[in-house]
Amino acid sequence: MGSVLALSSSPGHQNWPFSPDPPPSHWDRRDGRLPNPGSFHSLHRSCKDVFPQQIEGVKMILNKTLSSFFKVSHTLHLSAVSPSYYRFHVEHLQSDDYSKDKDAPALIGEMDSSGSLNAHALLHLNERVRARTVFQTQQSQFVTWQFETEYRGNDFTAAVTVANPDVPRESVILVAHFLQSVSSGLVLGGELVYHRGRAEEGGILTLAGQYSRPNWVATLNAGKGGAHASYYHRANKQIQVGVEFEASTRTQETTTSFGYQMELPEANMVFRGMINSRCIIGGVLEKRLTPLPATLIMGAFVNHRGDKLQVGLGINVG
Amino acid sequence: MNDHASLSVSCVFNVDSQLTLSHPLTSPSRMGSVLAASSPNPPPPTSGGAASGLTVPPGFGMPPVIPSSGEASGQEQEDDSRLPNPGTFDECHRKCKEVFPMQMEGVRLFVNKGLSNHFQVNHTLLLSTTGDSTYRFGATYVGTKQMGPAEFFPVMVGDIDNSGSLNAQIIHQIANGVRSKLAFQTQQQKFVNWQCDAEFKGEDYTATVTIGNPDVLVGSGIVVTHYLQSITPALALGGELVYHSRPGEEGTVMSLAGRYTGSNYIATLTLGSAGAHASYYHKANEQLQVGVELEASTRMQDTSVSFGYQLDVPKANLLFKGSVDSNWVVGATLEKKLLPLPLSLVLCTFLNHQKNKFQCGFGVTIG
Repeated sequence: MGSVLALSSSPGHQNWPFSPDPPPSHWDRRDGRLPNPGSFHSLHRSCKDVFPQQIEGVKMILNKTLSSFFKVSHTLHLSAVSPSYYRFHVEHLQSDDYSKDKDAPALIGEMDSSGSLNAHALLHLNERVRARTVFQTQQSQFVTWQFETEYRGNDFTAAVTVANPDVPRESVILVAHFLQSVSSGLVLGGELVYHRGRAEEGGILTLAGQYSRPNWVATLNAGKGGAHASYYHRANKQIQVGVEFEASTRTQETTTSFGYQMELPEANMVFRGMINSRCIIGGVLEKRLTPLPATLIMGAFVNHRGDKLQVGLGINVG
Repeated sequence: MNDHASLSVSCVFNVDSQLTLSHPLTSPSRMGSVLAASSPNPPPPTSGGAASGLTVPPGFGMPPVIPSSGEASGQEQEDDSRLPNPGTFDECHRKCKEVFPMQMEGVRLFVNKGLSNHFQVNHTLLLSTTGDSTYRFGATYVGTKQMGPAEFFPVMVGDIDNSGSLNAQIIHQIANGVRSKLAFQTQQQKFVNWQCDAEFKGEDYTATVTIGNPDVLVGSGIVVTHYLQSITPALALGGELVYHSRPGEEGTVMSLAGRYTGSNYIATLTLGSAGAHASYYHKANEQLQVGVELEASTRMQDTSVSFGYQLDVPKANLLFKGSVDSNWVVGATLEKKLLPLPLSLVLCTFLNHQKNKFQCGFGVTIG
């Protein structure tokens, strides 16, 4: 369903990739029992992280950690195609790693220079149950308000989301996710979306499956709304490769993308490149400028079909 | 470090529609630098390749003949009672202009390869966000006749575009103190600029005669005469006379120029019926150079003031240029040499606050 606009600092991409943690623990075994499969949204995450993010104009990000649970970041974006903005982002976490199960709230808020707000609240009700609330506005108008509850069992995850419930207009979107670890590498599940408006209502069922081995992960989502298949392969410590195929019945088109990520820790450099069936070729280079706590990002995307080029420069401080 | 020469050629069209050819000295080599810029400091290792477009603006397009700084400084040291050669007329505002950053957008790749002591080749690939992407091939040939410690003649420079636009120049020293140049420029297959000039360098004066776009069939042409004389070791005065003729109309434009060189500053003023151009260049210390420029044009009825500075940090292999304009244009260029590779990275951003336009680009120079 994921129509939530991504936070500017969601984990995975913006985190420095040389984190000391090992790769995702789908295939780690805990005393012979099947592991928890994670959430439904993160099924395609490892493949998507390989692809470069589209970058345009000049972006300067200043990160400041005020205390062990309070982080602030300022973003200034000067762009040629879209209006320039200043964004203020604040995070209140009990620890810097909020993927650990701790009964502590996590509050994330982001405010734009045009007044658009993006707010997330994550609450660990107990060891297994999590609740999440998301509010998004576009200037003064609310575009998203959703409430999600997730239950993590020993080898399954179930989540229910209520999105944009609107009592006066009698419209709501209900999403139910379920993921079950069937074997040590295989995860199966499904997503049921029920949307109801004043004039229409309908349901879409999508089945999902993921097979993972230590070096690669293959994921498939198939349903009436379309199909999404992804394959992620870790060739060696430096090179990761991802292939993605998306088909949508609504827009009647398919896209195949190939992306790779090359890490050179000795040179403090990460390069991500991608090529698309829409004739889009892009590359983003990230270099950590030691000894300064700064990262320089340079990227370019070329759309050969429309003959358009987009160039971006960014610097992350702190 | 390199066996081959790294000579960079850049063609720049400035506001007064003058074609300026500059050959900054990038690295010394056995071949020698043919045309050193007239600046006493080593010029910045800026990337070469013909940067801007090929349209010739209407009016007077005059490439100046590059002086040899070896001659000028040699004469200065010889005898204090003799006045130094003042350089050429077009070089007057050069030092100040070099401080300003050059506007660039899109992605640029410049590869420079020296094939021998006399021959050098360069490829430029420019992917542009606003216009068309281009590939340009350029070649430089330096001859065997040696005139100074690092000067060889004749020099032939040419480059051609992927659309067929050609730029070609031949510079040769005909006699002692007389240098001549032939330049051609085409826009795809049509010739837009063809000119010939001769420069006479005396002990304390420089005179240049240029014949531009002479067309015998149509009966049109442009003749430009420059004269610059050293009055005192610091002061140089001169003038420019432009005569243009077309079937039905003809006219002349005259302007006077004066340049005063201090211990660490140069002030230049050019006044004429086409407008005024004043520039002030100041070298604050080894790292910081500052330039202020005022341009007024009677033809376009507007004036503009620019302030630019250049920060040179050789220890970090870094060169930073920034500028602020009275047209509400703020721009900056950062250039960094990525040793030990023979690679140079250029980042450039320009922001026009008045029109709310933003441009950014980066380039890589190899070799």
